[in-house]
Amino acid sequence: MASITLNHVAKHFGPKVAIADIDLKIEEGEFLVLLGPSGCGKSTLLRMLAGLETVTSGEIHVGGKRVDQLPPSARDMAFVFQSYALYPHMTVRRNIAFPLIMRQFKWWFHIPVIGGLAKRRIERSPEVAELVEKTAKTLSLTEMLDRYPRTLSGGQRQRVALGRAMVRKPEVFLMDEPLSNLDAKLRSAMRAEITRLHGRVGGTFVYVTHDQVEAMTMGTRIALMRDGVIQQFGTPREIYTSPANTYVARFIGTPPMNLIEAHIEGDALRIGEALLPLPARLLPAARSVSGNTLLLGIRPGALTIGAPGEAGGLSGTVSLVEHVGAESVIAVGLAQARTAHEEEGEVAGEIMVTASGYSDLARGKPVTVGLNLSEAVLFSAENSRRLGDDAAHTA
Amino acid sequence: MKTPASHALRMALIMVLLSVALFPIYWMVVTSLTSSANLFADRPQMLPDPSQAFNYAETFSKTGVLVWLKNSAIVAIGTMVLSILLAILPAYALSRFRFHGKGVLGFILFATQMLPEAMLVVPLYAIFAKLLLLDTLGGLILANTAFTVPVITWILKGAIDGVPLEIEEAARIDGCSRLDIVLGIVVPVVAPTLAAAAVIAFFHGWNEYVFAQTLILSQELRTASVGLASFVGELSTPIHTVMAIGVMYTLPAVAFYLMVQRYVVAGMTAGSVKG
Repeated sequence: MASITLNHVAKHFGPKVAIADIDLKIEEGEFLVLLGPSGCGKSTLLRMLAGLETVTSGEIHVGGKRVDQLPPSARDMAFVFQSYALYPHMTVRRNIAFPLIMRQFKWWFHIPVIGGLAKRRIERSPEVAELVEKTAKTLSLTEMLDRYPRTLSGGQRQRVALGRAMVRKPEVFLMDEPLSNLDAKLRSAMRAEITRLHGRVGGTFVYVTHDQVEAMTMGTRIALMRDGVIQQFGTPREIYTSPANTYVARFIGTPPMNLIEAHIEGDALRIGEALLPLPARLLPAARSVSGNTLLLGIRPGALTIGAPGEAGGLSGTVSLVEHVGAESVIAVGLAQARTAHEEEGEVAGEIMVTASGYSDLARGKPVTVGLNLSEAVLFSAENSRRLGDDAAHTA
Repeated sequence: MKTPASHALRMALIMVLLSVALFPIYWMVVTSLTSSANLFADRPQMLPDPSQAFNYAETFSKTGVLVWLKNSAIVAIGTMVLSILLAILPAYALSRFRFHGKGVLGFILFATQMLPEAMLVVPLYAIFAKLLLLDTLGGLILANTAFTVPVITWILKGAIDGVPLEIEEAARIDGCSRLDIVLGIVVPVVAPTLAAAAVIAFFHGWNEYVFAQTLILSQELRTASVGLASFVGELSTPIHTVMAIGVMYTLPAVAFYLMVQRYVVAGMTAGSVKG
């Protein structure tokens, strides 16, 4: 196990900035998830850690040792690729043993026949064979050791890739969206398997994904990235409950957090005709805003649907109802409030509400949406950052 | 939908095409087993006459066919081995590296294929004379290799382009140097294409005539293609002898192809990456 420190790490591809000046400290034994949409630079950052991409500027330290100038093999890291990257001409056994064979590799192993015999000898040596068997057993691959990758299913191939990483007992495991090629059911099983693996083998894990469910369930901490910049670095809970800015707020959570334009009136928030008293927790944040306009961030679960005309709520009309098993997702078009959702396909003035069970609401029905402000967060309308003292996690 | 009629039509078409391809070979075998008297008969003999098998025995004893075949084998195998050894690294470089003049280099390699052998034979003769490579099988291998390397380089480059980069990156992380990656990962993965390239180089060396005729002067270093042609005389040509040599000339090449053919299989990379 080793800690990883990134000091002002940047990566430019010509004029394009892929990673802009990142500072990050990953603790020993941590499971860090690099989360973000496609093209945000998370994979580039991981590849820089592995040594597959050069660093334009800055330093990378692993266990206190500077590694950014070292070749990939000298960094004591294992990498699990999105596409598995198994060696197609080798059996599962040879695939797993390959990193160990390479440790004893001599130039004359390239000589046909002689080299083959030498590699086979290493593969069959007690220490290598035992380690391979043990790793295969851990990953339930024992039956497949003499098969070729082309005969395995996606999940089995991914386990072989994990085995190849594990067998080296590296300081750091790097994983680049390893589950994205698997179907939903298998992905969920492998997710649990990787989490268990982290607990069992230890080591520092850096895991890249665009899937927030993976990030929330697997990571001990998450670095959420956008356009080469870390938007927030914190535990899954911190990121969910205290998003550093509106981007993080909208990225995490399904459906995402609602952002409603509000005005401060004394110790209350004015949204359209509704005047909502602020809880004491939010008062310092509300008072820190420069103008009197801010964005109220509230999760769909903190909203309730009530009868039309109910006091203390926002009136609107149901525009869509989706039933997702244990809960229903209801979209409500607000009559007098504006939302600040930037994503494509979002309807202005529409918020999402989740209600447990099967909702009988029909499209077009007028309702009142009640807000539980004790779970809300406030964002600046100017720079989209969270208002309040504890917004210091923002990168 | 596949109906019996369309299936029959397909089979018939295949049979016709196969006959067109195979008849010259059959005719070669028949002619080699035809008596001199029947060679120019009004009604040609359509079936081989086993009693004429002594033609082969005579060809063996009276001509240098065994030496010619040995020379052809040396040239073909030499061309094949040298071509592949020389083509792997440039093919890898053209596929994986970015460098100035890459496009031009690729074009120049291609351009060498546009020049006919006959045009190069005179300058090559002069160069070979100076380098003391005239009348040596090594020289002939070199001349043939010069022609096969560019085409094999391009074929291998295409195959290497298809090898997922992640496999190489995985190998780098596992501790492979660039040469280890080429020899230990890329070459085995492109083995089917390598086998196809070997077939091309082998047959070029085996069949080549113009250089063999010009650059080889002594009788004992003649290749089979030149030896065979030496029977075609101005006044008479012993057709059944020529055909017997033709059969002997063809058989090793067919054997080689059958041997290599099983390696020319697709789908080697299946399972290495997603899918």
